[in-house]
Amino acid sequence: MRLMILMTQTQVHKQFVLRPLMLVSLALFMLAAGNARAELLIRITEGVDSAIPIAVVPFAESGTMPQGDKISGIIRSDLTMSGEFNPLAPGKMLSLPSSRSDVYFRDWRMLGQRYLLVGELTRKGERLEARYELFDINREARILGETTTAPVSSARSLAHHISDKIYEAITGEPGAFSTKLAYVTVMGQGDNIRYRLQVSDVDGKRAKVRLESDEPILSPAWSPDGKKLAYVSFETNKPVIFVHELATGERQKLADFRGLNSAPAWSPDGKSLLMTLSRDGNAEVYKMNLATEELTRLTNHWAIDTEGAWDHAGRGIFFTSDRSGGPQIYHMERPGAEARRITFGSRYNARPRPDPEGDYVYYVHQRDSAFLIARTNLKTGEESIVSRTESDESPSLSPNGRLLIYATERDGTSVLTVVSTEGGAAYSLPAAEGEVRDPAWGPIVR
Amino acid sequence: MTGNERETISTGKAPWKSPIAVSVVLHLSIAVVALAGWSWFEPMQEPEPNSISARLISPEPEPSPVINEQEQARDQEQQKAEVERKQAEAERKQQEEQARQEEAERQAQEEARKREEERKRQEAQAREQAEQKAREEAARKKAEAEAKERERQRLEEEQRRQEEAKRKAEEEKRKAEEEKRRQEEAERKRREEEARKEAERKRLEAERRLREEQLQALADESRQEQEAEQRRQREAAAARAREAQMLSESQKYQSLIRERLTQAWYPPSSATEDMTARLQIALLPTGELASVKLVNSSGNTAFDNSALGAVRALNRYPVPENRDTFERYFRQFTIEFNPQRLR
Repeated sequence: MRLMILMTQTQVHKQFVLRPLMLVSLALFMLAAGNARAELLIRITEGVDSAIPIAVVPFAESGTMPQGDKISGIIRSDLTMSGEFNPLAPGKMLSLPSSRSDVYFRDWRMLGQRYLLVGELTRKGERLEARYELFDINREARILGETTTAPVSSARSLAHHISDKIYEAITGEPGAFSTKLAYVTVMGQGDNIRYRLQVSDVDGKRAKVRLESDEPILSPAWSPDGKKLAYVSFETNKPVIFVHELATGERQKLADFRGLNSAPAWSPDGKSLLMTLSRDGNAEVYKMNLATEELTRLTNHWAIDTEGAWDHAGRGIFFTSDRSGGPQIYHMERPGAEARRITFGSRYNARPRPDPEGDYVYYVHQRDSAFLIARTNLKTGEESIVSRTESDESPSLSPNGRLLIYATERDGTSVLTVVSTEGGAAYSLPAAEGEVRDPAWGPIVR
Repeated sequence: MTGNERETISTGKAPWKSPIAVSVVLHLSIAVVALAGWSWFEPMQEPEPNSISARLISPEPEPSPVINEQEQARDQEQQKAEVERKQAEAERKQQEEQARQEEAERQAQEEARKREEERKRQEAQAREQAEQKAREEAARKKAEAEAKERERQRLEEEQRRQEEAKRKAEEEKRKAEEEKRRQEEAERKRREEEARKEAERKRLEAERRLREEQLQALADESRQEQEAEQRRQREAAAARAREAQMLSESQKYQSLIRERLTQAWYPPSSATEDMTARLQIALLPTGELASVKLVNSSGNTAFDNSALGAVRALNRYPVPENRDTFERYFRQFTIEFNPQRLR
């Protein structure tokens, strides 16, 4: 202290001279400090692998509610099924708010939740009205709020709709909980065998038989608008491609050529259908214009080319060919272009299913004696196994590419299994009895 | 005053041998004899009080009638005869009284004549005595006056002497005071001189000290400049060391924050590797989040929200206890969310 005073006394004259210089250096220092501060950047390059905690509070109800599952329960189940959410069990909730004024974010934070859904159901005649709000607990912000109605008989549709909205609000992508599944069940044996084409919700509920036959039904394929199914039926004792209008039940025999008519696949615009025909001698992939029924041959090779599927851009096709000696996946960038082989990992890779974003192609992959679902990264060529069972077939992707459904066996029972394409949660839809095969995940219907 | 005057006074100390003294003694003797003769005549003047008593008896009969009347009033009825007798008695007594009064009057006149003669004789004698007495008195007074004059002269002489002594004493005192004052003056001057010399000495001392201090200050200044330069160098070195230490400390906390955020971030399924959200966050020294601002959107709302949610999910950020490090690096910084290991 004393020293400092002495300094100021003896250096007063110097300080006046030095002051402008000091100011400049101070400014420089601050600038440097500012730069240093700007330089501190923490980069987060990965996040949590596990599902997002979300609290779906049981909805308040007024009026007579329909029988069956509660809306909030269906939503929790949907979100769980997605593999991306981890809904909180209602028993662990500290309170059951139904509107923002009852919400104490602290409580939900304490429970480790990230999102909170509250709402109420009101019966209005033959309709149900749902008012709901979704909150980001950490930001204490409402990120979704809506009032929507549905017929009392469509309570499940209402729940799936809310699940879709939640999913989209949080993940930024459309939910696929309102989509449908088509699949074929096989019951009985010998002469009593029955094939049924069924359509259900993605959770397996509300299954309806659309076609029943003594002869095999194969390869159902959804039209992009979700209104039609194309499939192969052996009802005429030979494989014939039908297009089936779901609303009316009206059926159209689309391809009944000599030889093989199989593996129908809709173009993204819904105006054409890919199919495998052997009418020219050897199985090749054709495109049929639905309006004109004009055929265009897309592959031409002495080996079998089959199971064509449009790529995500709708320009090129993936298909299976045994031109290399065994079935492998090939990609043709545009019709007539040279096919590029995609899979190399094993002797058997078939039934390609490209994802909607063009990053991967999924397929049935044989490894040793097991048949698994695998995918190959189209940019890197890297192959990875997606399924965890051993006799997997007929992969089908959800519209957003997050989930994959395929037919397999679990404990000797035939089941449809849904897995996240990123790993994580999986669930199974067991067949009521007999066998379930050829699942096809329907499109999102706006 | 001179010594001769004092000599004259001392020779007049034997007055009794002078003619004046003889005269005085003679006069006094005469006076004593006169007084003795006068006093022997005093008892012979006895008759004077007789005339006084004769005057006192004559008015006595006047009150009697008043007493007689009161008694007569009381015994009127019983003593009528007595009254007539008493009237006869009274007439006789009146005649006797008249005779007696004529006799008394004659005697009184005789008496008065004698008294007049005697008075004239006594007056002449008294005059003679008074004259004698006046002469004696005059002689006595003259002697007294002479004695008083002498006494006065003596007293005057005495007073003069005393005054002279007093004057001399005062002169002595004045001289002593003069001397004392002179000495005091000398002492004062001496002290003043000493004080002046002391002041001069002090001034010189102060000047010397000031010079020394100035020299010391010059020396100090250059020493302090050296020290300041050394200190600047030391501080610069310390600052560099501190900077390095802060940097390493900040890196530790950066990785702690990165770890916590990685555990708090749920990248949405729509996230792709080319999405980058930049958030500017401000912390309190306690590690609490003060504010967060999206400064660079990924273009995907869900992705931005997931980043915002992650940043807000942390109750407390791990921050260094060192305040400088905190201020420098963690008061405000940027967090970038950019997934690198997707699919």
